[in-house]
Amino acid sequence: MTPNALVVGELHDGHLAASTLEVIGVARALAGGAVAGLVLGAGAKAAASEFGRFGVPEAYALDDPHLDAAPAGARAAPVAATAREVGASLLLTASTTAGRDLLGRLAVAWDAAVATGVTEATAFEGGVRVRRPVFGGRATETIRLEGSRVAIATRPHAFAAVAESPVPCVVHEVPAPVLSEAYTAPQRTGVAVTARGAGPSLTDASIVVSGGRGVRAPENFRLVEELAASLGAAVGASRAVTDAGWRPTSFQVGQTGRAVSPQLYIAVGISGAIQHIVGMVSSRVIVAINSDASAPIFRVADYGIVGDLFQIVPALTAEVRRVRGA
Amino acid sequence: MEIVVCVKPVPDAETRLRATSDGTRLDPEGVKFVLAGYDESAVEQALLLKESIAGSRVHVVAFGPAPRTEEVLRATIALGADQATWVDSGADAGAEPVRAARAIAGAIASAPHDLVLCGKQANDDESGLVPAALGELLRVPEFSCVVDLRWDSATSRFRFQRPIETGVESWSAPAPLVVGLQQAWNDPRTAKLPAILKSRKAAIGKVAAASASSESRVVAERFELPPPRTGAKLIEYKTPEDAAQQLVRILREEAKVFP
Repeated sequence: MTPNALVVGELHDGHLAASTLEVIGVARALAGGAVAGLVLGAGAKAAASEFGRFGVPEAYALDDPHLDAAPAGARAAPVAATAREVGASLLLTASTTAGRDLLGRLAVAWDAAVATGVTEATAFEGGVRVRRPVFGGRATETIRLEGSRVAIATRPHAFAAVAESPVPCVVHEVPAPVLSEAYTAPQRTGVAVTARGAGPSLTDASIVVSGGRGVRAPENFRLVEELAASLGAAVGASRAVTDAGWRPTSFQVGQTGRAVSPQLYIAVGISGAIQHIVGMVSSRVIVAINSDASAPIFRVADYGIVGDLFQIVPALTAEVRRVRGA
Repeated sequence: MEIVVCVKPVPDAETRLRATSDGTRLDPEGVKFVLAGYDESAVEQALLLKESIAGSRVHVVAFGPAPRTEEVLRATIALGADQATWVDSGADAGAEPVRAARAIAGAIASAPHDLVLCGKQANDDESGLVPAALGELLRVPEFSCVVDLRWDSATSRFRFQRPIETGVESWSAPAPLVVGLQQAWNDPRTAKLPAILKSRKAAIGKVAAASASSESRVVAERFELPPPRTGAKLIEYKTPEDAAQQLVRILREEAKVFP
């Protein structure tokens, strides 16, 4: 395949997002030729030059605040046009909501072989071979993306961020797309930024502590939250908890909630319905704390404590604080 | 309102997964196929909208091989769908998502569609590509991760929310629209027995999938299952404090997941 690659970056607080730095690393490993960067939306021009810090000598910016409040499809045409301009045969982005929306569009608009949720990627003559978890992490598939245009979205945290290696970076401006009425008619009427508290978001966190029915009452959920806070972890919940209204549905881990794959997942008072398991089984290490030794959660956990969570969890929080010196 | 719902038959969550003998893909032998989880929500949402907007119809479309695709379509008829169309993938069951989107778009492009509802992703391949690819093929805007989808008859616009990584977005948009649904207003309903019996005789429209015109190809190479988890190593302890100390030591020294 022709060797050039285009990285479509995402912005976070006006800078290249952490997930984009991972994508740059993958692009530099896969591309035989030049790697170029592209960012879109408000502040794109200022952020585009940051590509140079990570060894990317050429960047494209579509600095148009309207794109931030337009449907995802509005980005497809300018991204495909930039890919053609740089002679890219490979396009890479992060497998976020926006990244998956973009790839579905580019499969058609750029006529590419595409894959999302990629955790390993290697180039071969004629395409890219990728591995990706499927069935909620219960299996892994290896697929070959063949053709002269391939686009992949890499799962956040699956690859290391690229190290800094500054080079001068030329920034080109990409003209704003002329949108048809279908794409200007939808209106974004509001954005409520998630109240993050002190902790990381559920899908970004490297440690997740989730509570289930075993915590018995909404006020007891603070035990789960205190353990999470001591670990710098995100808080999750089983469906029993969100259905009961103890926590909003945005906390739900499982088939109908969010799928997470942190380094460490601690399930507190969760029995382990299959619905929940498929959302967390691809975590690297799983710890279960439950009073019922026969609970199915112990079959997927690596380590278990059979006992009363109302005694175990506060002791664990205290121990974590002690070893962390806090 | 003409509502099209795109669904996919996927292995039941309780099914034991197994690779084919050549190791390239999931072995469908003995697998019970059901409506994908988010697709169940999409069907439910379509039926709720139909019930709240006079003169609405729900048309369910699925791409896949016999007999599983016809079976899940019949299940949606039993739930209350008005029409079902099976886009036959042929014996090659490779449900590569973009190929599925092209086949479905071919089948519905000329049929009325004010709203095209999909689950936000299927729980087998988890690609999440179909809604966006359909939007591009049908040349209409598409929104993924949608919850709380409502029709506002006063303004003739849909109103909905999207809980995404950075926060919750609120949107309003006119028809036509493609939506990747995360959650319906209600838990999906179950079909009643008389409706299930009646659905067995319902006519299912069948169309052949248009042949692919793209030079890009996605080829399944390996399908692997992780070694089965052997069950938790249970910590023997005397006091809660003892349990906590042992666990923290294991997480730091053995599992190395804790600084």
